[in-house]
Amino acid sequence: MQKLSAVNDFVIRFANVNGSGSSSANEIFAKAIFRMGIPMSPKNVFPSNIQGLPTWYEVRVSEKGYMGRREGVDIMVSLNPQSMTRDVEDVAPGGYFVYDNSKPLLKEFIREDVTYIGIPMIQMSIANYTNPRQQQLFKNIIYVGALVELLGIEMAVMKGIIADQFAKKPKLIPPNDLALDLGANYVKEHYTCPLPLHVKRLDANGDSILMDGNTATGIGGIYGGATVVSWYPITPSTSVVNAFESYAHKLRVDPETGKRNFAVVQSEDELAAIGIVVGATWNGARAFTATSGPGISLMSEFLGLAYFAELPVTLVNVQRAGPSTGMPTRTQQADILASAYASHGDTRHILLFPSTPEECFQFAAKALDLADRFQTPVIIMSDLDLGMNKHMSPPLKWDETRKYDLGKVLDAEALENTEEYGRYLDVDEDGICYRTLPGAHPTKGAFFTRGTARDEMARYTEDGAAYKRIVDRLMKKWETAKQRVPGPELYQSGNQSSAGVIFFGTTTYSAMEASDMLKADGFDLDMMRIAAFPFNDEVEKFVESHDYVFVVEQNRDAQFRSLLINELDVAPSKLIPVLNYDGMPITADHIRNEIENSPILSLVNGKTQKTS
Amino acid sequence: MIAAERYTEAYMINWESNVFPGILGRTCDRPCEPACRRGRVEEEPVAICRLKRVAADNKGEVKSLMPDAPAEKNGKKVALIGGGPASLTVARDLAPLGYEIHLYDEWHKGGGMMRTQIPAFRLPEEVLDEEVNYILDMGIHTHFNTYVDSLKEIIDKGYDAIFIGTGAPRGRDLNLPGREEADANVHIGIEFLANVAFEHVDKIGEKVIVLGGGNTAMDCCRTSRRIGGKEVNVVVRSAFETMKASPWEIEDAQREDIPILNNMPPKEFVVENGKLKGVKFGKVKAEYDETGRRKLVPTGEPDVFIEADDVIIAIGQDNYCPWIERDLGIEFGDWDLPILDKETFQSTLPSVFFGGDSAFGPENVITAVAHGHQAAISMHHYCEGKDVKERLAPMTNLVSQKMGIHEWTYDSFIADDLRYKVPHEDKAISLKERKVEVELGFSESTGFKEAQRCLNCDVQTVFTTDSCIECDACMDICPTSCITFTNNGEEEDLRTRLSAPAENLTQDLYVSEVLPTKRVMVKDEDVCLHCGLCAEKCPTTAWDMQKFLYNVTKAH
Amino acid sequence: MTYLKPTFRHPKMPKNKIGFAKADYEGAVSTLCAGCGHDSISAAIVQSCYEMSIEPHRLAKVSGIGCSSKAPTYFLSNSHGFNSVHGRMPSVMTGANLANRDLIYLGVSGDGDTASIGIGQFVHAIRRNLNMVYIVMNNGCYGLTKGQDSATADYGSKSKSGTENVFQGIDLTAMAMEQGATFVARSFSGDKTQLVPLIKAAMSHPGFAFIDIVSPCVTFNNHVGSTKSYSFTRDHIEATSAIDFVPKRDEITVDYQEGDGVRVKLHDGSTIELEKLSSDWDPTDRQSSIKQLHAVKASGQLLTGLLYIDPESQEFHELQQTTERPLNELREEDLCPGSDALEKINQSFR
Repeated sequence: MQKLSAVNDFVIRFANVNGSGSSSANEIFAKAIFRMGIPMSPKNVFPSNIQGLPTWYEVRVSEKGYMGRREGVDIMVSLNPQSMTRDVEDVAPGGYFVYDNSKPLLKEFIREDVTYIGIPMIQMSIANYTNPRQQQLFKNIIYVGALVELLGIEMAVMKGIIADQFAKKPKLIPPNDLALDLGANYVKEHYTCPLPLHVKRLDANGDSILMDGNTATGIGGIYGGATVVSWYPITPSTSVVNAFESYAHKLRVDPETGKRNFAVVQSEDELAAIGIVVGATWNGARAFTATSGPGISLMSEFLGLAYFAELPVTLVNVQRAGPSTGMPTRTQQADILASAYASHGDTRHILLFPSTPEECFQFAAKALDLADRFQTPVIIMSDLDLGMNKHMSPPLKWDETRKYDLGKVLDAEALENTEEYGRYLDVDEDGICYRTLPGAHPTKGAFFTRGTARDEMARYTEDGAAYKRIVDRLMKKWETAKQRVPGPELYQSGNQSSAGVIFFGTTTYSAMEASDMLKADGFDLDMMRIAAFPFNDEVEKFVESHDYVFVVEQNRDAQFRSLLINELDVAPSKLIPVLNYDGMPITADHIRNEIENSPILSLVNGKTQKTS
Repeated sequence: MIAAERYTEAYMINWESNVFPGILGRTCDRPCEPACRRGRVEEEPVAICRLKRVAADNKGEVKSLMPDAPAEKNGKKVALIGGGPASLTVARDLAPLGYEIHLYDEWHKGGGMMRTQIPAFRLPEEVLDEEVNYILDMGIHTHFNTYVDSLKEIIDKGYDAIFIGTGAPRGRDLNLPGREEADANVHIGIEFLANVAFEHVDKIGEKVIVLGGGNTAMDCCRTSRRIGGKEVNVVVRSAFETMKASPWEIEDAQREDIPILNNMPPKEFVVENGKLKGVKFGKVKAEYDETGRRKLVPTGEPDVFIEADDVIIAIGQDNYCPWIERDLGIEFGDWDLPILDKETFQSTLPSVFFGGDSAFGPENVITAVAHGHQAAISMHHYCEGKDVKERLAPMTNLVSQKMGIHEWTYDSFIADDLRYKVPHEDKAISLKERKVEVELGFSESTGFKEAQRCLNCDVQTVFTTDSCIECDACMDICPTSCITFTNNGEEEDLRTRLSAPAENLTQDLYVSEVLPTKRVMVKDEDVCLHCGLCAEKCPTTAWDMQKFLYNVTKAH
Repeated sequence: MTYLKPTFRHPKMPKNKIGFAKADYEGAVSTLCAGCGHDSISAAIVQSCYEMSIEPHRLAKVSGIGCSSKAPTYFLSNSHGFNSVHGRMPSVMTGANLANRDLIYLGVSGDGDTASIGIGQFVHAIRRNLNMVYIVMNNGCYGLTKGQDSATADYGSKSKSGTENVFQGIDLTAMAMEQGATFVARSFSGDKTQLVPLIKAAMSHPGFAFIDIVSPCVTFNNHVGSTKSYSFTRDHIEATSAIDFVPKRDEITVDYQEGDGVRVKLHDGSTIELEKLSSDWDPTDRQSSIKQLHAVKASGQLLTGLLYIDPESQEFHELQQTTERPLNELREEDLCPGSDALEKINQSFR
């Protein structure tokens, strides 16, 4: 048997039982690799359950810095008998299977092409810890300790993480350290360490951080000046507001009075959550809510109101697999159309597609600006993978000179100098009108906000011509927005090929890796990452100037492709869907295979071959 | 009707009661305008007077619409002494009833003071002639150029009734030092105006002083400006604010560069070498004693001398009837005024009636017309042997105006427009030519807009207690808070419990029967706009807007 | 045409303490049916704001959808208004209120808007003790969709077509009381002497002030057999007490004999005076109020007036510990922690 052998390039998966405390142990493990400067990417594959169902944690270690998911498991750390049959199967030939040998492994789990590493985790735990809960928890740390030796992780780094984590509860440090040592010592005694598959300090991570997208989004809300936040708990978006709230408690409380410069409301449902946001922005506060697919459906009525009545809304949609309740703990990019055109009637909303935690942070603050500027909903299209998994990301950066763009709001003084105020008068001819806030001026600027048609002076109307003027102006505003939303990112200077690839959000990692693979296979395709909807001229030009464009996305119906066809008036045959919708993050292999297997590629084959 | 461009009908309605729409539409003292309810909610009333002129200016043929004197007379003869508005009104009312009417006047044309005292630049002769002739053409026997110097002679002619409408013909004089010496250049206002009107006088000195602050003074000064007066000053004894002239007439004078000097009583006509040089004035201020009576006291400042070639005295006029023999049974009281029944205008000699200025002293044209109507009824009853005092109530009628939701047959919209100004002829032109009319009258479109300011006194809010469900809608919507639902009480007490102050005690409250909740609906009509919103908002038509038709009682 | 209201007002109308006349609190001419109870409530709101000397622009009106929710157009033209979506006024109001705690918030809803589609948001606004006046213009039917029964239609009430309602009506005051509302009142659009002081007291109450107002629908629910008609309501009303509201600046003149009246002092120093209160119950005691409400209901009558008040009410901002400054006035310097703090955060993720 050829054992897998590599340095700083493998996938390790932990199979745990939900609620057993394994996830913090797994995170400690991942962080140690991160701190050794080795690029890595952890992913949580978890059930919609609090206790008892199988859950997996997967870490891809990649010296080359590929952060997308990779298929195949090189090392399986198996702690869940429920899933063991499948877990054994999942190990790549030549891979390793780490398990608790406190009781013998059943014959059915033995494969010829896998190396088995048994560790008496629970036995050691019982022997060293008294309380049953502790025995459970430290069993996890014991296997982490074992991995330290098996994979060549520096124990000092690992213990440093423990020290950091329990800085406020130092009593917990020695028992944790003990557990690490128990695991480490056992494998040192019983196996050759490290395994052929191991890590080696690289110091390649620079100032990167390891953060999940939802946390970054929440911090973006803090920095972007949101003061009113409301949400109804829903996976996978809940942690956006959790992060906002916990940082707000640290950063937004007057140390003298204890008074808060923010308000977080856990609402009764998603309708109320967005209603609260709409009410707050109407009254001049910056506000946002976070939800996922089902919440988008419920919020649609208010999104239409905000679009038509022209009120800022910042909405974070952390997408999960639908339809209906779908797979609530699995990732997808399947709310593209539902978000772009949410609500009845002619509606359309600005979408932002972050692809890293750092972008989650930037886009959250940006969305608050855009919403105020354009007086319309802005939806941040994150997904479960980005939101809930930790990603190596450039550090969060804030320009100290940056000012909030509060948009066109007339204050008392401005109103005083305004001869005739009309809420929906297009004074600047950019489709964006001036709004006023309640309580601003004793006699000027008051108007009635409503979801019914009204004329430029905000007076109720059922006059078709006035209605048409308003909805046409909303399109003008949309045109203006094209120039203000983040543009696409191109990865080559000029067009190298007659075929291009479009992707967005979390697909980026795998798309970039796939690009390298394709190049290696002789296909140098032009790559473009789209960051926002409406699509600006650059997007239009990219599509126009390629004969074929592969559109990579994570849903069944190629929704982003539909959006491109619909908005850019592209011939559908020109856009080739590359899809992934099994709820797991898309892989580079998948993208490469789909593109290389596409009959289209043969048409552009000659042109895509490297000329050199 | 003016808003509806039904000028002819509007004219005729007006002619029925005020007899001289074209004349009064230019010259009236406008006693009606202060009563206009528009004036209760904003600065100025509707320009009722000038709207009458709009009707007169734009009317079609009207003569055929006027009553004819029947060919067959009723055998009664009446004499009218004086050809002014009062007499003409009597003639207009009695002629259609078959009376043989004899009208006596010292001048060669009818119209009386309207002709002699109102300058042509305010009242063109054609307008006057037209409306006077409508009456004279009803077969009136005119005796012009006939100065009646004895009533006895007239009585002796056997008239069944006699009407005296000879006005207040004597202008007051001012006996100050120098008056006699200056006589050649000192004129009495109304005489001066008559002389100009009949073209006996066509020029005056460059420097003119007009003494007096009434409308006659205004006419005198403005006439002076047109016949040679360059520096014309009006000088009044007391304060500007106390002047009797209508504000608009004062404005018109000022517009023609005539200063009005006040608090300056004249002391002396200054004469040199037998020729008037000017007038010396004292300077005074008003002081009020404990009883509130005004007294003009000298300020102590030196006297003021104002040069003048001519002085016109326009300080009032008096009744004067030396031609009425005092032994005819007509008794006179103070100021040479006859003793009359105030409603019937009958004198102590039953066959003789008075009207106009000759009845109760100087008033105005529209009052003279009112007198004429009443005197005509009295004379008719007298001639028929009925009780002279008897009067039929004016004809009234109420008709609902609802058409549908939001729609009424009357114009319920309340315009916000302020009173429109009547355009004037260019000053350079009107000062040059005495007969050029200064006021041009409203154009049809301005007339329409001014008429829109009307608050529809002709449409009344009528409440039916039985239909009311007490939803408060009328009270809630009323823009001027006229309506209140409250517990019943005496009017005095109710006035303290209304939605808005109800301080106009001359305006009775409109109080409903007791409603099911034991409350009553109380409406203070005082500032009601007649906008119809109460009726509009009433779900049960307990409120209705009803057109109120009113016909003044005339002899018939 | 009378859908335009003349601009003239009674020239002698008095002005309030801050120099506004009643007309300054008016709105557009109502487009509701003639005689609609809602218009009377609008007038009562105008009257209350005028008497309270509220600067019109310092009040915000929010409504949902329905006849009642149109009403805010018909009062307080100088106030911002928000006619939001059906049943969602409470959430919009929550956001608005959080954004600026300095304004007075007036929510207007109807029986459909509150008791059906919006019942969830209604109870949650109560739960949070949001500082607002919540008015339900309750006519027991859906007006805009032509007269269907609403959830507050009383059991046995006859519709215009003669069918009897077989469902239990929702009593919003009972619900509010059970849910912990800190101010609960019921009134009748046709009784401004009761309604105006209630609205004034509600505006002064720090917290959720609920007023359920029977407001007859003249078009669809004012016939014989309806339990929400003008005449039925008048015949079955039983007031808790005569009520008067004395704002903080005014001196109290009435002096009650013991047992004759109760005086409830509010946070801001103003006072609610309840005269001729029915005996053996205490409007500041929730249990006693609930008991009284049910007792009167059982007798076939409709209890109106101030039903319950918690003088110790702590409103949402106090519970949330939000800063005294309106959140919508805070800017970068108050909100953005800066790049040093961000670098600290970054460090904690390495």
